[in-house]
Parts: sequence; structure tokens; C-alpha cells
Amino acid sequence: MHSTTRRDLGRFALGAAVGGAAAGAFPAFAQSANPIRIGFAMALSGGLAGNGRATLLAYQIWAAEANARGGVLGRPVQLVFYDDQTTPGLVPGIYTKLMDVDRVDIVTSPYATAMIAPSMPVVMQRNMCFVTLFGAGVNEVFKYDRHFNMNITGDNMKETYAKGYFDVAAKLPTPPRSAAILAVDNEFAQKAAESARFHARQRGLRVVYDRSYPPSTVDFTPTVRAIQSARPDVVFIGSYPPDSSGILRAASELRFNPPMFGGGMVGPQLAAFQAQFGPILNNLINWDVYSPEPTMNFPGVADFQEKYRTQAAKEQTDLLGNYIPPYAYAQMQVLEQSLARVGRVDQAALAADMHASEFDTIVGKFRFSASGEWAEPRNLFVQFQNVRDGDLEKYKRPGTKVILAPENLKSGELRAPYGPPGA
Amino acid sequence: MSTTAVVPATLAPPPQGAAAPTRHLPFWLGAAALGVALFVALRLIGNEYGYYVGYFILQYVVLSSAWNILGGYAGYVNFGAAGFMATGAYTAIVLRKATGLDLLPGIVAAAAVAGLLGLATGYLTLRLRGVYFSIATLCLAVVLHTLVVNWDYVGGSRGAYIVRPREVPPFVSYGEYLFVVMLALAILTVGIARAVQHSRIGRGLQALRDNERAAEAVGVPTLRLKLVAATLCGALMGVAGAPLPYYSGYLNPEAAFGLAYAVNAIAMPLIGGVGTWAGPVIGAVVLGGLQQAATVTISSALNLWIVGWMLVIFVALAPRGILGWFQGRR
Repeated sequence: MHSTTRRDLGRFALGAAVGGAAAGAFPAFAQSANPIRIGFAMALSGGLAGNGRATLLAYQIWAAEANARGGVLGRPVQLVFYDDQTTPGLVPGIYTKLMDVDRVDIVTSPYATAMIAPSMPVVMQRNMCFVTLFGAGVNEVFKYDRHFNMNITGDNMKETYAKGYFDVAAKLPTPPRSAAILAVDNEFAQKAAESARFHARQRGLRVVYDRSYPPSTVDFTPTVRAIQSARPDVVFIGSYPPDSSGILRAASELRFNPPMFGGGMVGPQLAAFQAQFGPILNNLINWDVYSPEPTMNFPGVADFQEKYRTQAAKEQTDLLGNYIPPYAYAQMQVLEQSLARVGRVDQAALAADMHASEFDTIVGKFRFSASGEWAEPRNLFVQFQNVRDGDLEKYKRPGTKVILAPENLKSGELRAPYGPPGA
Repeated sequence: MSTTAVVPATLAPPPQGAAAPTRHLPFWLGAAALGVALFVALRLIGNEYGYYVGYFILQYVVLSSAWNILGGYAGYVNFGAAGFMATGAYTAIVLRKATGLDLLPGIVAAAAVAGLLGLATGYLTLRLRGVYFSIATLCLAVVLHTLVVNWDYVGGSRGAYIVRPREVPPFVSYGEYLFVVMLALAILTVGIARAVQHSRIGRGLQALRDNERAAEAVGVPTLRLKLVAATLCGALMGVAGAPLPYYSGYLNPEAAFGLAYAVNAIAMPLIGGVGTWAGPVIGAVVLGGLQQAATVTISSALNLWIVGWMLVIFVALAPRGILGWFQGRR
């Protein structure tokens, strides 16, 4: 019989330490029995980290719930992920590692277009089914038949994206006659601006200002002053968080209160933005993906948000989870439902099922189109109402982000003009 | 006019016995053998990830070796590496969009365009010295970035897509093809850097690095040599960038002009040992390997943090880099 000496104990301790360190360093190797491994890169640092961290938390909540239910296909779920550092150059290598070294069963996308695009060629090379999150027309170029995008914008962004905004504009007390369009020079905002142009033309509105600006722009006072001097009835802006911040500050400082202001600004959907800007957001009409209004109280969404909010502060991510997180969770529900229907991890069968089936998720029921976008677009236009301070509690309840469009989700009436109370 | 008539005495071949003539054939044979061994080893392993890691490291071998020609041999610190690399990348995109030509012609075009840019930049900036030259190269990257952002043909801020073929026979995958292309470029670049170091041009660059006025006083054509170095440096950096859009399938200005390229192009030669052809190779393998390992293990934004700390450590403890440290111990 082999007796254990102090040296053996030392070796055992060393082995355990090395094994533990390896398990921490190589998460793919730290697995329980035959789990279903879902691999992805995510922006946990860099410019997109805010939404990346929120997405990861939503995935982790789903994985914990799925495992509590007994896993997927009777196997525990394991998330295998790496930080892409918001650096597109790292993405192909990460996805190759996920598929060839970690040998994950399923891959999902990083967050947003600039990170999804570099992952596509690698995923296509291996014919993997690929559910992406908030890409903007990535598959228009690649035309990959196993690509599915969790984004409410749908296939034909030009004709559908800004429709709701101009439908709302038609209800202004004085019918609008002119429009101004301003957009940052990136894929999403330019498509949004193209849609705004299309609808302005369709409704006979004179476009009195139409400009783009580079993403590096920091001072928007001259831009907003130029828009102000054109005296438009409707202002449509396509911007990203840093620019949205600058534009709203400039509009506030210049006391610019057109009848309708907003459009496709990314930023006002986020808790940090809402806390910071408070009453400046009042009567802003903006594109959104989710609002806790009674018309969007889909089964499961309230429970998810409650769990999310209890962990958000600790994970240092968006405190409310009203933007990406419900869709990230729903992205995983898509996978879960498809796997349950197919009954095995079969990439071709999963893709076929996703093309054919309807999904019932915490963000509602939807189908994918032939190109993998949402078959029925659902661009929300919400109006910030009764905002007098930066307190976030009100954003957890109905009545602050009132849905004006589309008609089937409408939860309140339009208020005009834009501007804080008493402006 | 004969060559000897225009080459000053200091750049003339060294007198017999002063230094052994550099033998190039064994180097090229050795490098080719190493390249083939690397390719065969990865083919035998049969894991696509090896090609991507190899590509990642080899692109830095090219970039840092190119930087070393002007920054290491001549002592002119170029902060615009990302600008030259992006020039190569966008040249490949323009060529693809305009003519449909693929990666290999794109690399040749990238070398030509980035080389001309290096020459033009040299004419404008090489009369500046020290930190003023470095600031000028930094400005060049900003100018190029602004140009690309406002150039719709290459996608502006929105970026440009390149749909690459899934396979390129006889390679097993496009990843392997990219790796082999970058491996060939790395061998070529290191070979050129080595040849320059041991040539009269290299000795002239070393002379002006040590004391430019003294070099001029003894007849070294400093501006001409610096222009040659800037052109070569620019062309090779452009070559490093040309496969980038094919590697990622999509390129936007933020990715092409990334801070990591500019920082690594300087850090790798400094850590490996500036002024010698082997230094950037060692630096790229060590630092590139470490960064890639950090990406898939620690998995956070520690890449530049690692680079920063290694720079601090090497500047403090081994200012002549890994090579210098070993040479000092002998």
C-alpha cells in the first residue's frame, strides 16, 4: 500500500494549484460532464464594453436558469467567452480558438456590427449556425444562410426604420412641413438617415438640413446652431452615445425646442445617460427596442429584469437593462428553443429550424426572414415624458418612456414641443 | 557616373580584415527551412487556430522589422506605423473594389503606395530631428485617418467589407493561405532588414544615428540614406497591412489605425533589441505571443498593459533589449 509522505502532499498541493490555475486560465477545460458549450467573443473592455458587459450578464442569467431547469438537451450549459477588447483584429483568432481548440458546440456573435463582421468569415468557413446580436445589415454582404440576427430593424431598414418617427410627426398639432437630418458617419446611423430621407420625401416634407459628421466630432454647438437657423419642424438625428451626449447638451444650451426632436440616437436608452441628462430628455422622441410599458409586458421579461437589476451594480454594467439585455437573453432563448425542437446539436438542422419556426421569448414572438433578420421589424419610437430629474426609479415603471409607435404597442399620446418642462 | 564616385568613403566596403563579409545564402536557406518546418508542423497539428496565432505574430514581425529600419538603424522614431499599415490595408481594398484583384496583387500595390508615402513623408519630415520628427509622423497618421474617414469609396467611417473565398487550393483553408503569405512576407522582410543592416546603407544609417553632423562632415549622404530607409520602412509596413482586410473580412478606420499597431511597432524592437535585424523578430515573437496568450487566458484588456510594463522593465533593466542583455552577459 502506498503511504502518503509530506513530499507527496507537497506534490499534490502543487498539482492542485497548477490544475486550479489552468482551470481558471483556460475556462474551456474547466467543464462539468459533457456540457453544451456556447462560445463567443464579447467586448468586456474598450469602447463597446458598456453594452458588452450587460450582454454577458444577460447570458449568464439565462445559463444559470437553464442549468437550474436541468440544462439543454439534458446537458448542462457552459459559456466559453473571451474579451475581444472592442478590437476587430482579435475576433477571427478568438473564433478560431473557440471552434478548433475549445471545440464549442454553438457559437454566438460578439456585440454589434464592427465586431460581428470579422467573425463571419471564420464562422462561415465551418458552416456553423450563427445567431448574432444587434448587427446592422452584416449579412447583406456575406449572404450566409445560417446567419440569424437579433435586431428589431428587419430586412428593409430604408423603408421601415424611420417610418414610426414620421407617423408620429404626422400627428403634431401643426402638420410638419420641413425636416432636418443629421447622422454620424457609421453604418447604422447612415442607414437610419437614409430611411429618414425616404420617409420625409414620401410625406412631402422639405429637407432643410441634411449632413453627416465624423465620429470624432466633439463640439456640436455649430451644428445644432445651423439646424436651428434652418427652422425645421422635425429633427431626425442618427448618433452614437458620445455624439448623442454632445448634441443634447448643445440643444439644451441653445434652447433649441423644435416641435419634434430625436430620431435614431443611441445613448438615451442607457441608464447612465438617463441619470446624467435628466430633464434634458423630456419630450425627446427616440428609437428604442424596449420600454417597460404595459404593451410590452411579455411573459418573463419582468422576472428577467428583476434578476438583472440585482446583479447589475455588482457587475458594473447598465443598471436598468432596458436596452440590450432582454434581447441578449432572448437570443439564448432562440438557441434553447431551436435545440429543443431539433433534439441534437446539428448546425444544418438548427439553421433550418430557425428559418421555419416562430420563437416565443421575453421580447415577444417573432420569426426570422430568409436573410436571417426579423421578418417583422419592430422599431419603437418612445417619448420621454414627465422627466424632472435623473432618478432612475421611474424608468423601471410605465409612464416615463411612453411608446408612440408602432400603433400596436402604443402606450401614450404625443407631447410637443421638445424640451424640459418650462423651457 | 560610376557607383564608387557617388558613394562616400565612409560607406565604401570595409577594408579587408576589418569585418567578415556577410553571407546571405545561409541565412535565406535557414529562413526558408524554418518557414517550411513551421508550415509542416502546423499542417501536422491540423488546427486552424495555429494559423491565426502564427499570422498575428508574423504580422508584427513584418511591422516591427520595417519600423526598425528607420527607427532602429537610423534612430528616427516613427510613431506613424499604424498610418502606414492602414495605407497598405486600404490600398488592398481599393484595388479589390476597383479591379477585383486579390490579395497578392494587393500586397504589391500596398508596397508601392506605402513606399511612395514613406518617400514623400521623408522629403517633408526628415529634415526634422528627434522628437519633432516623431511628432510629424504622429500627425501623418492623424491626417491619413481623417482622409479615410471622409473617403466614401473605401467605406468612410462605416468600414469596408471584403468577402474572401472559403478556400484557396492547394491550401486546406483560407487561414492557412493567409498564414503562408504572411510567413513569406516575414521572411522577406527580415531578410531585407538583415541585408540593409550589413550593407553600406545600414552602416551609413548607423553612422547618422550615432552622430548625424559628424556623419555629414565625413561625407555620408544622410538625407539620401534617410529617404531610402523611409521608403523601405513605409513599403514594408504597407505590406504588413495589406492582408488585414482579408484576415478580418471587414475593416473600419478604428481597426486599421489601431493604437496597438503603433505601440507594438515600437515596443517590439525595443524589447527585442533595436538596431539589429534579430531584435524585432525576438520582440515580436515574445510580445506577440504573450499578447495572444493573454487574450485567450486572462481574457481582458491586458494587452497594452503588458506591453507598457514590459517596456518599463526593459528600459529600466535591459535598455538594449533581450539581445543586448545576452550580449552584455557574454
